[in-house]
Amino acid sequence: MSDDGSLWLLLAGPASATGLYWALYRYYRNTDKSHDFEHETAVVAKVTGTDEKVGEVRGTRESRIRGDNVREYRQRVGVPDDDS
Amino acid sequence: MPDTTPPPLPPQYTGPGSPKDVPPPHGPPPIDPASMPKPIRDELLAPDPVAIDTSSDELKDGLNRCPKCGSTDIRQKPGTDVLVCRYCRNEWHAERVEEEFGLGEGIDKLQGTVIASGARDIAADAAAMMTFKCPGCGAEVTVNTENAMTARCHWCRHVFGVNEQIANGAVPDAVLPFHIKKDDAVARIRQFVDKRRLFALKAFKQEFTPENVVGVYLPYMIVDGNTSADLAGQGEIETRRYTEGSGDSKKTYYDADVYQVARHVDFTVDDLPLESSSERGNLDTRTNTNNIINTILPFDTKNAVKWNASYLSGFSTEKRDRDVEQLRPRLEDELLSIARAQVQSSVDRYDRGVRWEHERLAVHGTRWVAMYLPVWLYSYHQPGPNGGLLHYIAVNGRTGETMGSVPVQQWKLLLAAISVGTFVETIALFILAHST
Repeated sequence: MSDDGSLWLLLAGPASATGLYWALYRYYRNTDKSHDFEHETAVVAKVTGTDEKVGEVRGTRESRIRGDNVREYRQRVGVPDDDS
Repeated sequence: MPDTTPPPLPPQYTGPGSPKDVPPPHGPPPIDPASMPKPIRDELLAPDPVAIDTSSDELKDGLNRCPKCGSTDIRQKPGTDVLVCRYCRNEWHAERVEEEFGLGEGIDKLQGTVIASGARDIAADAAAMMTFKCPGCGAEVTVNTENAMTARCHWCRHVFGVNEQIANGAVPDAVLPFHIKKDDAVARIRQFVDKRRLFALKAFKQEFTPENVVGVYLPYMIVDGNTSADLAGQGEIETRRYTEGSGDSKKTYYDADVYQVARHVDFTVDDLPLESSSERGNLDTRTNTNNIINTILPFDTKNAVKWNASYLSGFSTEKRDRDVEQLRPRLEDELLSIARAQVQSSVDRYDRGVRWEHERLAVHGTRWVAMYLPVWLYSYHQPGPNGGLLHYIAVNGRTGETMGSVPVQQWKLLLAAISVGTFVETIALFILAHST
């Protein structure tokens, strides 16, 4: 009875309550909405680039790369230090 | 009598840039541009920002006359871009700025900052109130450009429009006339709220009168840009996935190849809209609901017509109070976001994702046009701490896209959430009790 799987089940109640609250709140207040300018603006782009293998990871338990931000377009990251 | 002594002033700043520094003498710069490296030389020798002159000489006296009979009683024909004379029923329309000033062309060749005359910097001393001398009867007519762009002479009934591009930011280069009629906007708002009634604030439902919707022309800067960006980071491709252990202690492990990823993207952006009012541009959802108005963007700005105040009669307006330079950080942030979105399809092979670590933007050229865009706004003020919260329901005056913020009845929402949570928890406990 005291193993992990069963204890997780106890969280189902609070989790569903919180989830429902936020889903309904956002449906009414739409606080998460804004202009999707990344996709709704006329853009003509030419992409070039390089890909170079620099290493390997063995036996990690994480299913995604740490700090994955490929879809977080609006999250700013640092400017490179050098001008090369 | 209260003590009126003001608090002492903070100590004066005397370092570089303070008023105590002697400004450099006027005249040519002390350094010879020819002796500088090329990037600096280019910047020093670059011509002043070019203005596209969009002002209308024929309308400068404030009177918009019917080209046929000369009457000033002119209205927009609802649902169209056509102006109609209410005296002789003559119909005509203003030119589209896209063709008139070539705004859709040469974006990939843009260099420097091109500012249309209606988007010029706002003069600090420019007043919002404008006074005209009526050529019909000599009376003085005042227009408060904070919220209106037309007025009628009380004496001879001439209609005035503010057409001269005065330096107070009130007259843009172009206007996009309303196409969605009021009845349509009311129906859309009603439909939007009808889907959100169960948990809506009781007072909001009781006072809900969508007929009070107001047609407002809001100020925007429409920006074209010629830009490039560099991105660098790391991406991972999964090479193996395996599980160890059994039963509840089963764990999944991954092997992956790590790549150094670099991308360069050259891109042009056509007609990116930016709010040019400081109030509307503040999108903090904790203190306001301006994100609602932001969401109904974009507009079909290609169809905007040359400024003519007659399009605005019957609607209210908000004045621009932001200049090009003040909007530039926001523009650069959005351009970087667009660059990140553009490269996404080129890094699809990294199935474990990409972590961008560095990004850099180089803006080669931008073109700025000030424009009034049509929005139907319904507002409801919810009382509360810090002045409460103003909820908007907004309808795009061209596309009809509707978005809104409906205030919620907190206790109802909490009750529903707790009820569902309790129900789920009961089932969970039931399963646990029977699995032992």
